[in-house]
Amino acid sequence: MDREDMNRRAFMKKSARWAAYATAAMTFPPLYAKKADTATQPDIVVTNGARGPATRAAVNALGGMARFVKAGDKVVIKPNMSFPNPPEMGSTTHPEVVRELAAMCHEAGASSVLVLDNPLRDAEVCLERSGLGNACQGLAGTRTEGLVSKRFYEHVKVPEGVSLKSTMVMKQVLDANVLISAPVAKSHSATGVSFSMKGMMGLVYDRREFHLDLDLNTAIVDLCTLLHADLTVIDASRILSSGGPGGPGKVIPLNKIIASTDMVAADAMALEQGIWYGRKFKANQVRHIKIAHDRALGNMDIASQIVKEVGV
Amino acid sequence: MRFQRLIQVPVLLLFLILLWSAAYPLPSWLEVDLFLRLDPMISLGSMVAARAFLPRLIWGLIIVGLGLFIGRVFCGYLCPMGTTVDLADWFVGGKKKGRDQNSFEASGRCRNWKYLILVFVGGTALVGIASHFLFSPLSLITRFYAFVLYPLALMVSNLFLDVFRPLFPLVGLDSLAFAHFPVPSFNTNLFIAFLVVGILALGVIQPRFWCRNLCPAGALMGLFSRKPLFRRHVSQRCSKCGRCVRVCPMGAIGEDFVTTAHSECTTCLRCREICPEKAISFRITRSALSPSPEIDLNRRRVITAGIAGAATAALTLTSLDHLHGGENPRALRSSRLIRPPGSLPESQFQARCVRCGECMKACLTNTLQPVWFEAGVSGLWTPKITARLAGCEQNCSICGRVCPTGAIRSLSLTEKVFAKVGTARIIKSRCIAWEQDKQCLICDEICPYNAISSRFMPGQAVIVPVVDENKCNGCGYCENKCPVAGESAIVVEPLGELRLASGSYREKARELGLVFHARTTVQDQFILDSPKSEPPGDEGIPKEETKKEEPGLPPGFIVRQ
Repeated sequence: MDREDMNRRAFMKKSARWAAYATAAMTFPPLYAKKADTATQPDIVVTNGARGPATRAAVNALGGMARFVKAGDKVVIKPNMSFPNPPEMGSTTHPEVVRELAAMCHEAGASSVLVLDNPLRDAEVCLERSGLGNACQGLAGTRTEGLVSKRFYEHVKVPEGVSLKSTMVMKQVLDANVLISAPVAKSHSATGVSFSMKGMMGLVYDRREFHLDLDLNTAIVDLCTLLHADLTVIDASRILSSGGPGGPGKVIPLNKIIASTDMVAADAMALEQGIWYGRKFKANQVRHIKIAHDRALGNMDIASQIVKEVGV
Repeated sequence: MRFQRLIQVPVLLLFLILLWSAAYPLPSWLEVDLFLRLDPMISLGSMVAARAFLPRLIWGLIIVGLGLFIGRVFCGYLCPMGTTVDLADWFVGGKKKGRDQNSFEASGRCRNWKYLILVFVGGTALVGIASHFLFSPLSLITRFYAFVLYPLALMVSNLFLDVFRPLFPLVGLDSLAFAHFPVPSFNTNLFIAFLVVGILALGVIQPRFWCRNLCPAGALMGLFSRKPLFRRHVSQRCSKCGRCVRVCPMGAIGEDFVTTAHSECTTCLRCREICPEKAISFRITRSALSPSPEIDLNRRRVITAGIAGAATAALTLTSLDHLHGGENPRALRSSRLIRPPGSLPESQFQARCVRCGECMKACLTNTLQPVWFEAGVSGLWTPKITARLAGCEQNCSICGRVCPTGAIRSLSLTEKVFAKVGTARIIKSRCIAWEQDKQCLICDEICPYNAISSRFMPGQAVIVPVVDENKCNGCGYCENKCPVAGESAIVVEPLGELRLASGSYREKARELGLVFHARTTVQDQFILDSPKSEPPGDEGIPKEETKKEEPGLPPGFIVRQ
């Protein structure tokens, strides 16, 4: 959860150091080999294929779920389940993506996996109609909840906030060891597009101030300084190209899953993979992505990063 | 436990379980309005006021007919109001009456009121105004449990959940970790609470005060229960101790301990149970010989009550607000009175609605609220959509499914989305996009029917929301989510509402030139596109504006830097 830990550069430095220690000690060759891999690990992964396998392949290409989830960790997965629409409408994350992620967390030894969102429409209907309510059925230790009551939220300061200084965030997210962002790629009537960064608003109790009192795009980036996902997996199996965020709108099948440890890089990739409102955009044309990049929250410049494409 | 209680308690529990179950998603086989349909007042009152035979309400008439055979057994065993009165009497614990105070003859002063109320209600119904909802026992008690006790029960449950929440994981109840009941709020709830508690408190004066003296459903059944086939009989063994007279909750036993006012007897069997001589039995009695005291129905009073009812109804018909101004029905309508989807045309709606509160209890989002006099005096407690509080969920049509009288039609979800309840209108002077150049498009974001688009309008610095009235269903999610403090900057008004007494809403929408376009990629059976419109695909962007450089794109994009 600590942003410093999750910074890509910091992570790379740390893994390089560990790799060096391992080399010096020459004690655990398998560990050494593994860490050596991370040095050439991709920054962004784009997988092509069926949702479940593509999700798994994407996380594996980043080093596997064990890189993010340690035994006994409490994990929160944040999909988009704000609307009571079937998955085909593209306004919510596909259940197969969420299920695969939850299963991988358990394989990595997670003690609990919570799939959480604060839906815009009635929570019960959203869970039922989006298919997410039952997506993780049968996975022990996994719960899917649409939390709308204030009692599940806690007031927190946003120390790095420029516009947003404090807000109420789900307690379970603050308590979690690992936060995984699993949004669907879709258009958005206010922010243009909605991927992992915009999706973090779904962990906030009252979002009205984002629109009313704050600069929406700045406030989203502020929020992401606090809620920085350890792993971002964007469901671009189909995108809601217009009519977002709730739809109905134009749905385009892409058959892609995009993963990164950097929310900004993942969002930039999702943007450039898709067509929005009938046209293509560059990452620096989306205000909140550009602000996040300028504030060094992540890297939207895809050309400067290692991109790995995997077919499943 | 006494035999009567063995029946009453489970029946009351069944009533409460059915009321609790009146919620989304309701299994199709569950008839949660069962008890309401047993009430003779609801059956007969709705049929007379609506001038229609309503087959669903036949049960109330059967209950009345059963009076010929088993008297007022319904009152003694099945009626949730009666059981609640018994429960309240137990709490209130009115002082014990002497045997000369509780005999039929001595306790009969107010007994004919219920007949007068019945005649009054009949008078209003004949003129065409429904007033039975004011006195129908099932309507009254359902409303009380739904609006008063249900929210309280949820609050208490939440309190327990919050107190024990830290303990749940320790005892393996992880599933309760996030358990929490959203507590609904209801308009007029304090008044309803005082009204019903007041009626129950009358138990201080006499046990079953409501049933003895006020309940017109009891009166209606009483008319058919003067000589029921199955009734009280006293044998020669009677030693005239008078205990039966003292314990009779209805005061139905005569001063001689032998005669019974069968029209008042609920067959609760208490007299038989208390009788030390075992002289009392309930059995099939064909003989018409046994004398039975009758209630003195003073003819003049009955006629007066009937005329009073008819006159009150006539006055209601001529009151200014009745049906929004009579002949010119739109003129005086409150622009905030939005009826639930599938509501009958207003006059039929008011005639049929028994104000039981079932639809409002069942409403998924709590948007349905009872009104005071917004729909005229005759519209008291009818439901309306309170969009500022919550929207009407697209995937729910529970209100019509639980309505006992069909005042709200039971619609399939496909039909429901065509049952337009009104149209959203933007109040530009309040809108922070139109007025303050803020990047707020929450209404566009939330609209389930994609009826709001964000456009670049001349003279506006940012793109602003615009409503397409042909797509708007009136669900009110925009009004609910509008972040402006106080009154919303986008409000749903009745303009364009569809109220069909019969026939398909979908067909009607087509007739009005609003057609449904099926799409290949999206399941969006809710869009009402005009027939000549462009093939769907980029409905967020109006056609004429796609040619411009900035085609109404969301403000989150930077197109030229």
